[in-house]
Amino acid sequence: MDATDLPALLSRIASGDRAALRLLYQAQSVRLFGVANAILRDRDAAADAMQDAFLRISQRAAQFDATRGEAAAWLGGIVRHAALDQARRRGREQPSDDPSLGDAAVAPEALEKVLAEEDLKRLHWCLATLEEKYRRGILLAFVQGLSHAQISDRLHLPLGTVKAWIRRGLLQLRECVT
Amino acid sequence: MTPPTIPGDPVERAGLAAEYVLGTLDARNAAAVEAALASDAALLAEVTAWEARLAPLQALALPEAPPPDLWDRIETALGGGAPAVAVAPVPAPKSAWLGLGLWRGWALGASAVAAGLAGFILLQPAPQPRLMTVLLTQRDAPAWTVEADRSGALRLAALNPRPLEGDRVLQLWALPQGATTPTSLGLIPASGQVTVTPGSIRPQPGMLIEISLEAPGGSTTGRPTGPVLFIGRLSAAGSS
Repeated sequence: MDATDLPALLSRIASGDRAALRLLYQAQSVRLFGVANAILRDRDAAADAMQDAFLRISQRAAQFDATRGEAAAWLGGIVRHAALDQARRRGREQPSDDPSLGDAAVAPEALEKVLAEEDLKRLHWCLATLEEKYRRGILLAFVQGLSHAQISDRLHLPLGTVKAWIRRGLLQLRECVT
Repeated sequence: MTPPTIPGDPVERAGLAAEYVLGTLDARNAAAVEAALASDAALLAEVTAWEARLAPLQALALPEAPPPDLWDRIETALGGGAPAVAVAPVPAPKSAWLGLGLWRGWALGASAVAAGLAGFILLQPAPQPRLMTVLLTQRDAPAWTVEADRSGALRLAALNPRPLEGDRVLQLWALPQGATTPTSLGLIPASGQVTVTPGSIRPQPGMLIEISLEAPGGSTTGRPTGPVLFIGRLSAAGSS
């Protein structure tokens, strides 16, 4: 069995093949754990999210459709949503000047790293064409899982402005052909 | 409180799908979208398109090795779903790490059997890693994980194995801190997974791990003769 052929692994997982799920875990868990940990910034919580995600993967593998996207992206999406669910359970929606919410654990340089221009160029992707003010909120939400309120705090912008810019940025991305 | 309704206006729907994928919906609205996806094919298509559109941003999260016992937790949570190959459970190896309880050893043994088709490495319940690193490409893309356990064995796994051109091979090297010449740890099999126990050196924090591209049979000069494609430095597991 080829551990790099993710669609083939997913189709075996859909038929209940536990060994295929384990191979998928071995091939993808370092990347996926990184995705969950970027959102939760807490290894224990990220591990919980990964557990939820792999249960979902085992249940939903049959729903993966290779004509609609890459398997790696599909897996990453499941992990992100599992991590976001964890973040919401942990009270993400409250105003975020409370260090217990995990915000204080994010070093300023981590934000800079996420926003580094060369990263975006490497993506060869139209996010780079968005105005900076739209792009930053979208990146903070997607990569670090921040809520509108947390982004508002982080960027020192009114909540309404953050909501409007994110929505506008997303609608511009929709027009952008990838 | 009544659940939020999914709007009919196309722009509003697109925005809602996008924010669901982005993660900025609050718990109530996210749950409403989740629930609607089962019956609203157009919304599902919109969400799927957004997942694909935003997926490149997943690469901005730094890869990180999960806790070593996470797979066992997942396996336990999955319950006793019949493994693809029905075999009697093997007794769990005796080690301090496995001595957490009979049920756990049993689950590990059973999972090892289920994974039997995947080869020798998967049959070994992984001991707790002591040191680890992620080998990066020259463009800083993560490519391999390396873990060293307390016995001194190095476990190497490709994150994204690719076939090599022609008959080239990959050779694994270790360079202890302060050393001037690397030590060959042998050739890497095409599967991209191997566990080696170096005879002459012990994995240490700060040790460089490199993979070079070599002619068939590997370098015989005692140092890489081809380009070093991947490199990383061992550090204590969990210190990241």
